[in-house]
Amino acid sequence: MTSRLIFRVLMALVAFAVLARIPVGFDVGFKFDAGLAVIWAFALLSLVLLTGYVGQISLCQATFAGIGAYTAGMMSATFHVDYIVAVAAGVAAAFVLGLLVGLPALRLHGITLAIVTLGIALVFDRYVFQDHAFEWLTGGTGGWRVGQTSMFGLQMDSSKHLMGAYVVLLALFCVVALLMVNLHESGAGRRFRAIRDSELAAATMGVNLTRYKLLAFGMSAAIAGMGGAFYPLVAGSVSPQPFWLFTSLQFAAIAVLMGVRYVPAAALGGAFMAFVPDVLTRYGHGTLFGRPYEISYDWFQIAVGVLLIVQLITLPDGVWGDLRQRVLHMRSAVGGLGGRKVKVA
Amino acid sequence: MAAFAAYTIIGLSLGGIFSLAALGIVLIYRTTGVLNFAHGAMGMFSTFIAWQVFYGWSHPFWPGWLSTLLAVIAGLVFAAAMGLFLEFAVFRWVRTREPVVKAVITIGVLLALQSAASLIWKNNQYHLPIYLAPQTATITISDVGVPVGRVGAVSWMLGSLVAAVAGILITPFINFDTTSLTLLIIDALAAALIGGLVSLPLTVLGGFILGLLETYPTIWIQSLGFPRLVALLVILAVLVVRNPRGFAVAAK
Repeated sequence: MTSRLIFRVLMALVAFAVLARIPVGFDVGFKFDAGLAVIWAFALLSLVLLTGYVGQISLCQATFAGIGAYTAGMMSATFHVDYIVAVAAGVAAAFVLGLLVGLPALRLHGITLAIVTLGIALVFDRYVFQDHAFEWLTGGTGGWRVGQTSMFGLQMDSSKHLMGAYVVLLALFCVVALLMVNLHESGAGRRFRAIRDSELAAATMGVNLTRYKLLAFGMSAAIAGMGGAFYPLVAGSVSPQPFWLFTSLQFAAIAVLMGVRYVPAAALGGAFMAFVPDVLTRYGHGTLFGRPYEISYDWFQIAVGVLLIVQLITLPDGVWGDLRQRVLHMRSAVGGLGGRKVKVA
Repeated sequence: MAAFAAYTIIGLSLGGIFSLAALGIVLIYRTTGVLNFAHGAMGMFSTFIAWQVFYGWSHPFWPGWLSTLLAVIAGLVFAAAMGLFLEFAVFRWVRTREPVVKAVITIGVLLALQSAASLIWKNNQYHLPIYLAPQTATITISDVGVPVGRVGAVSWMLGSLVAAVAGILITPFINFDTTSLTLLIIDALAAALIGGLVSLPLTVLGGFILGLLETYPTIWIQSLGFPRLVALLVILAVLVVRNPRGFAVAAK
């Protein structure tokens, strides 16, 4: 299958080249959104691994991203390390937390796991990220400020070099996304999918459930943490607000909405989450029939909730999954381009 | 010692509210197989309706009891209507799907309700006077005592009503806003888990235990988040001790 691998690498390179150019001409606000889009895409990608591949539910992905963000912020603001080292520390911290969250998951699944992860998200939201006892991690009420820093030895200033941060972030995302696509067919990926389809059957066939479930949680948290670790660099500071409980719920909702089993759906969801609310609040005001109106962020969240409900009733495989299936259907109907049989699941 | 007694009373009152909210969750879960993450949000919305009637629309010349009565009735009628609407518009169409899919749909309901409320009532802190509480308590008991058939519509209506009652009852204790009432779901779920999502008496007991456990630490520790840690630890301890396979049986 080397030709498929080459095709995928080329696709990733083209996607990177195109996406890296897009925000260049726009103002700072949209450049910030572009960075944010990739950060959210990382979190959604972590759900593709955990829910799409392994079938485990998590409602605390924003917590993992938040731990990555706070650890990176702390490393950069207190120890003044190179930012890429701070990112590595953030990923490591998120990985460890993911392993810890994975421990109860060894005994639980489905709905009960969702309840536990929701509880974890609430504890981090209300307690760890906001309590005096954890100021060494969170930098107090003001959070960490990351102004001047360096990455790969180059000077980085979060306000001036937003594009630099975005390009590094995007390159990392393309690499991780490529690895994720390839993971799907690898030995570990087959074991993950066996766990998703039936834990009992997987264990009977000799899959080490403990190891692979923990690994899935650790890897998923590390991916979410990698995105989060760039947050201080892109935004200039960290605060609890972006990583609170409702962000976790939004991650779950948007991942399912876009198609939780597909890697490109994560990128789509990230862009959706970052750009749509900003465009709505920026241009969504004026007067209609003589009455002034204003579209706020709440309208976006209402739309996400309603879309999720409608989608789960009508298109269970998500927006991306449905589109993909239609394209494949058309291709097999035409029979021209290879005429591959439609492969669902 | 007097402080301890006071904290016990606060804890028991909180616990009663947790049990009420949890009963609604167990009710809906047992009859329809939907674990309702939006339970807190539904109660929150009905509570805000009651608040709106009480402060926004009632006439200043009306006696206090009339405004109170109208507010509570409006909140409960709205709650019942919302429960029916959700059953007919949403959950009727996903009856045969896996429990997890149904639970994810309730997350969509939660997000929509929460933002709709924060759109209407903003993110301000609100407070309801304490005399709202005893008058609603009588309605509560008759609600919970109703034997519930296996009809989804009835259980959604009742579940939503119970959530509204819990929401209205908790408001004298806290300065409430849209998020804090929505997050009541965590404590309610913890109580429901103590009852294994099945047993009503154990759920009530769990609610009271949780209320006390969350109140006593605040004697020594002034922290907003600490009680949440207690709730999480209770959830984890219960889940590790109980056999988790028991929950799968409950979801028919």
